[in-house]
Amino acid sequence: MSKSAELDATAEVKKQYIVVTLGDEFYGLDISFVDNIVRMQKITRVPKAPTHYKGVINLRGEVVPVMSIRKKMGLQEDVITNATRIIILKLQDQGFVGILVDSVNEVFSLGESEIERNFNTKDSKSNFINGIGKNEARLISLFDIDKIATEASK
Amino acid sequence: MDVSQYLDVFIDESNEHIQSLSDNIMILEKEPENADTINEIFRAAHSLKGMAGTMGFKKMQHLTHDMENVFQEVRNDNVKVNSDLIDILFDCLDAIEGYVSTIKETSDEGSEDNAVTIKKLNDFLTKETGSDIVSEKTPEVETTVAETASETNSSDEQNDAVAYTHLPLSDDDKMKVIDELEGGANVIGITVNTSKECLLKAARAFLVYKAVEEFGEIIAYSPSAQDVEDEKFETEFSLLLQTDCDQDDIKSAIENVSEIKSAVIGPVNLDMYHENVAVQEAPDKSENPKVEKTKTILSTIDNSKEQASKTSKNAIAAANKGKPVATRTVRVDIDKLDDLMNQVSELIIAKNTLVARANSSEAEGGADLTEQIEYLERITTGLHESVMKVRMVPIESVVNKFPRMIRDLSRKLNKPMDLIMSGEETELDRTVVDQIGDPLQHLLRNSADHGIEDPKTRKMSGKPETGKIWLTAYQEGNNVIIKVKDDGAGIDTDSVLRKAIERGIVSEEEGKKLSKKEIANFLFMPSFSMAKKITDISGRGVGLDVVKSNVESLGGDVEVHSEMGVGSTFTVRLPLTLAIIQALMVEVRDEKYAIALASIQNIEYIPVTDIKYVQAKEVIYLRGTVIPLVHMDTILDCQDTEDKPEDITVVVVNKGDSSVGVVVDNLIGQQEIVIKSLGKVIEDNKYISGATILGDGEVALIIDVNSLF
Repeated sequence: MSKSAELDATAEVKKQYIVVTLGDEFYGLDISFVDNIVRMQKITRVPKAPTHYKGVINLRGEVVPVMSIRKKMGLQEDVITNATRIIILKLQDQGFVGILVDSVNEVFSLGESEIERNFNTKDSKSNFINGIGKNEARLISLFDIDKIATEASK
Repeated sequence: MDVSQYLDVFIDESNEHIQSLSDNIMILEKEPENADTINEIFRAAHSLKGMAGTMGFKKMQHLTHDMENVFQEVRNDNVKVNSDLIDILFDCLDAIEGYVSTIKETSDEGSEDNAVTIKKLNDFLTKETGSDIVSEKTPEVETTVAETASETNSSDEQNDAVAYTHLPLSDDDKMKVIDELEGGANVIGITVNTSKECLLKAARAFLVYKAVEEFGEIIAYSPSAQDVEDEKFETEFSLLLQTDCDQDDIKSAIENVSEIKSAVIGPVNLDMYHENVAVQEAPDKSENPKVEKTKTILSTIDNSKEQASKTSKNAIAAANKGKPVATRTVRVDIDKLDDLMNQVSELIIAKNTLVARANSSEAEGGADLTEQIEYLERITTGLHESVMKVRMVPIESVVNKFPRMIRDLSRKLNKPMDLIMSGEETELDRTVVDQIGDPLQHLLRNSADHGIEDPKTRKMSGKPETGKIWLTAYQEGNNVIIKVKDDGAGIDTDSVLRKAIERGIVSEEEGKKLSKKEIANFLFMPSFSMAKKITDISGRGVGLDVVKSNVESLGGDVEVHSEMGVGSTFTVRLPLTLAIIQALMVEVRDEKYAIALASIQNIEYIPVTDIKYVQAKEVIYLRGTVIPLVHMDTILDCQDTEDKPEDITVVVVNKGDSSVGVVVDNLIGQQEIVIKSLGKVIEDNKYISGATILGDGEVALIIDVNSLF
């Protein structure tokens, strides 16, 4: 963290991202929207809720809906492992929403120059991506939180 | 003086006074001769005037001053109360309310000086009394509160029997005074009068005490220091001081404290407070000429005590009259209460966790633990109840504006009608009370406009000309019922049905099958107005559907029952509280669900063979009633199971008069649950009304029973 802080001071304004994995791919979530990261716990199914909602969990006494970003992006069904985490996002209008990810790796700082905004895929999952962060050898797809928020309320 | 910090107090108190004025003017209209009411109004107007003056709201002060003048005349029997006066008074009240709401928004009274209203007031006065009223306050006005208070006041000013010479002291204090005096100490008495407009009497008194303590030791207080702190005094308080300082110095120190009108100081001698010592020579006769008189009045302490306590009793009675509903309250931000409530909820959940743990580890000798947990349980239950009670407020605060509203409507519509209210003290959760005002207002307006017929029609149908509207509230189990009933024309179900068919809501054939009740319920559909012409009171078709959706958003429901020519009754049913309910926990497959206990009628175990079919739908026939069955597993999209049980568990729930049998797999038991929202994104769920957290931290969903009908 101290390293990234130094970089912040010297170069352009950098944003911090939480790097998570879904399958073999890396995804980044703007840390300012992340409230919390919790281990997998029992999710209570909510009948008649949209299918991409796994259900609700108890987050310190609050009931928080959890959605499967995999299902939303047309990926394979979630496989729950020991590394599975629920990222709790705090959204402006929708309140807390949890999303399931396969694992959480690290926190990374990226400046705008390190982000590729022009990319072209016709895949439905790119709908949720608004940039690709280049970090050494890895490519990190950056989630568009606003998009997730609007999708969340559908 | 910077008054901004008192603004909240000012607004709150003004609203209280306005409400009291409104209530009393209503009473006055019915009983124009009621002296108590007139006094009450006078006091409220006077307080408003004083408060407005202190805060520097000149226009408001002016208006209330003129109102006060009118009441002065009414009190003196120079003016008779008539409906013109009442109208003008209500105009004034609206104007004052206008000031207060402007002040609330902008901290300023605004530029509207309500000259028209004031002119009306003064014109009325001139007309009725035949002469212009001196707008200066008469001396009698000064003594607003009670005869007793005025007695003390006036006697004060004449220096006749200053209060400090006959204070109602406790025996201990008396002994102290006598000791000091016999020890040769110099004791002086001080009686202080605060100015009438003084807002913070207790604070002023405290400043006086502080100033006086610079000079010596205070031996006795009257009223007691505690009472003074609680503002349990009118304008006057006294104290006895042991000092060697110059009286003039003390006097000027006291009078330097702001809002203190006057201070009377004189020496105290043994006579005043000595029981057995007969007439002795006063230590300083020339300085204390009134001692002679005091002696005769207070020949014995007992006598004086009796008298003093009588006076103070009268004063208290008078004060009570002035503030009829002076419950001791603290105003708390509702957010803080919500926080507190959330924390109590968490505590209950944590306790439930412990209970679950203790049960599972009982083998390891957890008797001690269980005992402690039971103790904790008692505490959390108690705490929960207290917090709930804090959140409960009487619906009075909402309904007390209705009599005025009905009166205005009655004049506007030219239909005489009375509003009869009962059960105003019924308590509901604060959040519910805040939101129930609009729906109730709609219902009342509806009754006044559509329900009550005009006097001619009423007379023809053999009813008294004056229509009646009842507003009744009472608690029933975990619900509060509020009924709005009128003795008007009732709902013409035929024309409602015709309209429904016209609108294409039902076909003609379907319509024939509908019961009267079902037809009446069409009125709650959006934009379904039955008014033949639109008035500004109701009839735009935005009334009853709004009522219904408002009430439903509070977790309640509304029904109508009507009989042609006899009247209609709208029944609003509201949950007592939104936060915590008693629920029956049930199991459907391996999922746990909660059903609100309040809606459960009974629970039955029925052999599968007893299930009958009516129109291809499953029903059971139970003690003379046919109850349709609803299978929870199908509704909740559960997977099918292989094993078909021989008996089914049926939870019979009801809504209004109809019942439904809910088939579940297992019963777990009764539990107190904390209702939580499902989260905004999936809140809009037909069958689930919320969620709760169980003792093991798991989330269970609450079934919305209303959706099953």
